[in-house]
Amino acid sequence: MHIPPLKILAAAAACLLAAACTGGVPPSSDDNDSRSLKYLIEEPEDAEALKALKEDIAGFEKKSGIDVKVTTLPFDNMRTVLQTQLRSGEGPDVFSWGSGPSFGGALVKAGLVQDLTAAYDKYGWKTFDFAKERVTYDGKVYGIPGELETIGLFYNKKIFADLGLAQPRNLADLKKAAEKIRAAGKVPMAVGDKEAWEGGHLLSMALSSTIGGDGMEALFSGEKSWDSPEVTAALQLWADFNKAGYLPKSPTSVDYDTSTAMFFSGEAAMIPTGSWLVGEIDDQAKFEVGYIPFPAPDGPGIFTGGLGSGPWISATASNKEAAEKLLDFLQSEEHGRWTVENLHTIPPRPMDTADLDVSPLLTQVLKDTAKVGAGGDFGHNIDVMVSDTLSEAMYDGVQAVLTGQQSAEEVAASLKAAAEQ
Amino acid sequence: MVAPLVAMVAVFLLLPMASAVYYVFVDFNGFDPTPPWIGLSNFTELAQDPDVWAAFKNNVIWIVIGTSSPIVFGLGLAVLVWNVRRASVLYRIAFFLPFVLPQVAVGVVWGWIYEPSRGWLNRVLETVGLGSLAKGWLGDPDTALYAVLGTAIWATVGFVFIIFLSALRNVDIDLVDAARLDGANGFQRLRHIILPQIMPVFLMVTTITLLGGFSVFDIIFVMTGGGPAGATEVLGTYAYSSAFQLNRISYGTTLALVITVISIPFAVWMNRLQRKLSLQGMGA
Repeated sequence: MHIPPLKILAAAAACLLAAACTGGVPPSSDDNDSRSLKYLIEEPEDAEALKALKEDIAGFEKKSGIDVKVTTLPFDNMRTVLQTQLRSGEGPDVFSWGSGPSFGGALVKAGLVQDLTAAYDKYGWKTFDFAKERVTYDGKVYGIPGELETIGLFYNKKIFADLGLAQPRNLADLKKAAEKIRAAGKVPMAVGDKEAWEGGHLLSMALSSTIGGDGMEALFSGEKSWDSPEVTAALQLWADFNKAGYLPKSPTSVDYDTSTAMFFSGEAAMIPTGSWLVGEIDDQAKFEVGYIPFPAPDGPGIFTGGLGSGPWISATASNKEAAEKLLDFLQSEEHGRWTVENLHTIPPRPMDTADLDVSPLLTQVLKDTAKVGAGGDFGHNIDVMVSDTLSEAMYDGVQAVLTGQQSAEEVAASLKAAAEQ
Repeated sequence: MVAPLVAMVAVFLLLPMASAVYYVFVDFNGFDPTPPWIGLSNFTELAQDPDVWAAFKNNVIWIVIGTSSPIVFGLGLAVLVWNVRRASVLYRIAFFLPFVLPQVAVGVVWGWIYEPSRGWLNRVLETVGLGSLAKGWLGDPDTALYAVLGTAIWATVGFVFIIFLSALRNVDIDLVDAARLDGANGFQRLRHIILPQIMPVFLMVTTITLLGGFSVFDIIFVMTGGGPAGATEVLGTYAYSSAFQLNRISYGTTLALVITVISIPFAVWMNRLQRKLSLQGMGA
C-alpha cells in the first residue's frame, strides 16, 4: 500500500499537535476501573521484603475489594521520574516518598499531592506530633510520615568483650576503644562513603550528639551558622578518625554494602549507620550486637532521628476514596505491628510493642524510638531537613575532608554558602 | 519519499532541541509549569561556575587519553592479529567482548576490581611485592579519574580493534611486502604504507571516540558518581546532578547544550577531513 508522503507528514503533525495539547493533567487511573489503585514504592534492598509486603497488601485487597498494583523503582530513579509521572496523570495513585522539604515538600509546592487534613479527622490517624509536623505545609497535612529511624553506632559485643572493652560512654571512650581495636588488627569502624550520602549520616550523628536537638534546629532555622566551630569540629572528627586508622582504608572507595559486609564478617568492630540495618543484622550477624548513640565529647550523646518514606496520595488519583482506604490500612495498628515483625520498620506513632515477636536488638531500638516519639532529645538527619543544594555540599564536603581535598574549615564555609543560596 | 524521514527528524531531533533551547532561557525546577524567563542568566552562571571548569578540565583529559589510548591499543592489536590464521576468531571474540558488555555491568565489575581491601588489583599488587602501590583507586582524588578512564579504554579497545581489523583486510599486501623488501621497519610500514590506506576508517574511529569523550556519562556515573568530592566530575555528570539531583533542570539543560555545541565543530572538522581524503583517493 502506498501512502502519499504528504499524508504521512500530516498524520505526524496531527500526532505532534495531539501530544502538545496535553497541558491538562488527566486522572491517573482508569476512570472505569474505580476499584484499582497503583501503589509505587522505593525498591527494597531485600526481595523477600517486597514479596512479604505484597502478601500483606493482598489481605487488604481481599477485605476491601480494591485491587492494588504494587510497583517499585530504585530510589534514584524515583527521584528523577516521580514528578513527571505525577504530572502526566499516568503515575501512581498512592506512592511512598520522603517527607523533607526537597522530597514531599517540593511535591506539595507543585500541587502534585492530595491534602489529607480531612482524612486524618475522618479516619482518626495518629502519629507522633513531630512526625506530623514534617508532612504539614501551610497548616495542611499532606502525607503519612514514614517509618521512624534512628542513626547511631552498632558494635560487635564479642569483639568488645574479647578485647576487654566496655560500651563507650563518651567520645574519649570511643577513641580509646577504636585505638585498641585497630591495634588488634581489626577495622574499628566500617565506614563507607563511596556513594556520598553516607557522609550526611556521619556529620548528622557527630553534630547532633555535640549540639543536641535544639542546636540542630538552630542550624536549620539559620540562628546558628553552618561554619560555626561545632560544625567544623564534627567534620574534623571524621578526618582525624580517618588519619588515625579508625576507618577502612580509603573510605571514599568503600560502598555501603561493603561496609555492612565488613561488619557482618567481623572484620570491623563497629558501624555507624541507621536502625534500618537491624533486620539485616538479625539475619546475618553471628554475634551479639549493641546499638548506642554516637558518643558526644562530654557524654553518651543522642540518637539522630529521622523519618523514612511514607504514603502520599497523588493529586490526580481518580479514586481518592479507595486511596484513602489504602492509607487507612497502611496506618492501622495491625499493619504497624506487621511491619515491625516482618520488615523491622517502626511506625512513627504510639503502639503497644509488649507482645511483639522481635529480636532483642529490635526491642531495644523500639524502646529508643519510643523515647524519641515521646519528646526526648534527639538529633536530626541533615539531608532530609535541608535543601538539595546544602545536601550536595555536605556529601561532597565529607568526601573532601576524608580525602584531604579540603579542610574542615573550607567545607564548613561551603556549607554556609550553600545554606544561604 | 523523504517526508517520513523529515517527520521523524522533526519529532525526535528538532522538537526536543527547540524545547531544550527554550529551557535554557527560563528557570525550570521540574515543578513549576510556568517557569520565569531569565534570559542569559544560565550562561552567565555557567561561565562563572568553578565546578563547570573543573568538569571541563576532566573532559579534556578524558578526550585526550580516552581517544588516543583505544586507537593506539586497538590499532596495535589489529596489526598483531591481522596475519594470524590459527585461532583468529578466538582473538576477535576475546578482544571485542568487552565492547558488547553493558557499560553498567562493566562499571560495577571494575568497581569490585578496584575495591581497596577485597579487589583483586590491590591483591595482585600485594602478591607481587608492590603493596605500597595499593590504594583505594576510585576513592583517591589523584587516581579516580584515571581508574575510570582505564576501564573505559578497556571497554572501547575491542570496538576500535574490530573496525581496524576489517579495514586492514583491504590493505594492499603487495605494497607492504615491497616496503619490507626496501628495508622499511615495522613502524615505517605502518606510518607510510598501512595508515594512508586505512585513513578514512582511522578518522571515522577517531571521530567516534573523540565525540564520546565530550558526552561521557554512564561509566563515570556508575563507578564514582562524579566523586570523590567532584574529582571525576565531567560536564555530563554535572549536567545530570544539576538537573535531577538539585532540580535545576534549566541549568542542567544549558550544560548539555554547551556540551553539544562544543562537540559539533570537532565532528564537522573530522567529517570534512574524512571527505577530503576520500576525494584524494586515499583509503581502504
